[in-house]
Amino acid sequence: MQKLSANKALGLGCVVLGVVLAFIWIPLDSDTGLVERSRGRFVVGDSLAPTLAAAFILIAGMMLVFGRSDQDDKPNRDNLRFIGAMVGFGIISLLVMRWAGPMVASFFSGGEEYRILRDTVPWKYTGFVIGGILLVFSLICFVEERLSWRALLISIGAVVGIILLYDLPFDDVLLPPNGDV
Amino acid sequence: MTDLSTLDYIWLGILAVFQGPEAFSVFGLPVSITLMMVAFGLLLGLVVGATPGLGSVIAMAISLPILISIFGFSSDALLPVLGFLIGVMKGSTVGGAVPAILFNTPGTPDAYMTTLDGYPMAQSGKASKALRISHFSSVTGDTFSDIVLIICAPFLAILVESYLDLPEKTALLILSLSFIAAVVGGSAAKGLLSCGLGLLAVYIGTGEDFYPRLSFGTEALSDGISITAAVIGILVIGAIFIELEELWHQTRRTGSIEIAKDVGDQRLHWADIRRILPYIGRSALIGTAIGALPGIGSTLAATIGYATGARKHRQTKAPDDPAFGEGAPEGIAAAEAANSSVSGANLIPVLSLGIPGNTAAVFLILAADSIGGFNPGPAVFKFSTDLNPELVIAFGLFTTMIIANILNWTVGGVLMRWLGVLVRIPKQHLLPVVLLLTLASLYVQETAMSAVWFGFGFGVLGYFMRRFGISPLPFVIGFVLGGRLEATARQAFSATGGDPFFLLKSPIAALFIIGAVAVVYFSVRKPKAALK
Repeated sequence: MQKLSANKALGLGCVVLGVVLAFIWIPLDSDTGLVERSRGRFVVGDSLAPTLAAAFILIAGMMLVFGRSDQDDKPNRDNLRFIGAMVGFGIISLLVMRWAGPMVASFFSGGEEYRILRDTVPWKYTGFVIGGILLVFSLICFVEERLSWRALLISIGAVVGIILLYDLPFDDVLLPPNGDV
Repeated sequence: MTDLSTLDYIWLGILAVFQGPEAFSVFGLPVSITLMMVAFGLLLGLVVGATPGLGSVIAMAISLPILISIFGFSSDALLPVLGFLIGVMKGSTVGGAVPAILFNTPGTPDAYMTTLDGYPMAQSGKASKALRISHFSSVTGDTFSDIVLIICAPFLAILVESYLDLPEKTALLILSLSFIAAVVGGSAAKGLLSCGLGLLAVYIGTGEDFYPRLSFGTEALSDGISITAAVIGILVIGAIFIELEELWHQTRRTGSIEIAKDVGDQRLHWADIRRILPYIGRSALIGTAIGALPGIGSTLAATIGYATGARKHRQTKAPDDPAFGEGAPEGIAAAEAANSSVSGANLIPVLSLGIPGNTAAVFLILAADSIGGFNPGPAVFKFSTDLNPELVIAFGLFTTMIIANILNWTVGGVLMRWLGVLVRIPKQHLLPVVLLLTLASLYVQETAMSAVWFGFGFGVLGYFMRRFGISPLPFVIGFVLGGRLEATARQAFSATGGDPFFLLKSPIAALFIIGAVAVVYFSVRKPKAALK
């Protein structure tokens, strides 16, 4: 059996996505159909525009399946390993950024809620500093394939720089995650 | 109030730039904030252009929330913010040539053709001269392109407003999306897919019904996806992942970077200018024509400009002159004039039709959208006798472009020659910092962790799109135009009394729709790897 090329596999995926969108997701997750009758007049419903998007995806999928192409770009195992690591480091760092402040505050703030402390020093920097350093440090170390003091210093410098850039000059600017905790 | 003529609007636009809020004064002469911001933008553009791995998109993405924090949401903010972005756009076009010439590393993708002759010239001890030629050609091309923009955009906008009604405007949007999908990247199918995904993303959580469509009933999706998160995620964060991966694969060079010493006369003489001027002229025309079409980038312009120049040079060069690819000054001129002349012309579709043709235009729309009071599109160019503030802003914008060009002519060249040092910044250290800065900028603008998550998620999507050879630009343009396409179609449908064939009833609309189908059909039949 002939091996499926990446373009054809992508095309098949798009056809499936287009069909699922047009016949399942859009009709079930929208209040109105393609065209509705309202006060005796026909008006465009909420489903029409997403169905157009689904049609784009479906047509693209069919073109990929039935068309011929010299290029067959696809992510290889190394690419997946890399982006997997990026996603992993990113998710962990953003979770730390979101929750480090409330966690530290719950231990050391003497019972005060983080929501009340979120615009006061040092609490407002806690999540951003820990999460930010973790993100930059982990990415540098991963790309360089080694841990280094230099990477740590750069991470600290980056976080301090961003605080100087955004937080110090503007009273109304909140660093992540303080605006919506 | 007296009736306003075209000249009055032009004058008001100029005054809005020069007599806006004062930043400081020099010898008693006030310098407006807009003027200062154009200069800062240009400087930043030169720096990011000269730093491989960065670029105008990253600079704009990071600057926008800072600018909005500084200037707020009043109409006074428009010109300083847009002027800054214009400065970044123009500076980066010039700056991209610095590492291309000095280190054989294009600072921006469109500077690749510049390496072919710039680096050999630098190797033979003519680095400063090569930089001067690049600067002169780049700024000449850019200035020419701006003149075409200033002349064409208002006329095109007036034509659009005079002849196109709602069905025709809907059809024009469909034609633009098809065109962008078909010509950007190597495959029309992938362009169409990218565009479809962008449209799908923008329709999530929006609509006119009480229930936010396609939201699965979740709170996270019910407010829709922020345009900033989607655009920055796909364009900036996706690109950072790609760059970081290349570094991960590369064996990093540890040795110091060698720069050949300048030998002999490095000045640009009138004889040199006369020699390169025909190449600049030809490339400026090519770049401007290409730039006026939405979605076609400066890399293609540089390639065609360079190839055309090479053909001419083969026929006319003296036997002892270096050929293209061996350090010919004409080669630098052809490449730089072509890629720089795209930038002004790229704004023709956005200002006259409201259709962004490139990433810089997307950021101008984002800025205008965030601040309010200026909606790029044909309605801007209403020369009404009562004051039309949007038209004043449009002429103010043209004025900032001219100022940026003047600054580029005068100080751009000097600054450019100092920026070679930036190539020494290790990208593996710079890019993670830029990623954090981008995420922080997203948060500052949206004040919601969901925007950061969305931005990161779209970054991963942008990475996969690139790995599958799918250009992210149609996605972004689909996302930006999707809402307008739906709103115009709704109005057109209602206005025609619910006629399902409203897109085919008027000859112009039908022509646009046939054009949309034809452009996809012909691009499927003809492989266009060269358009990548």
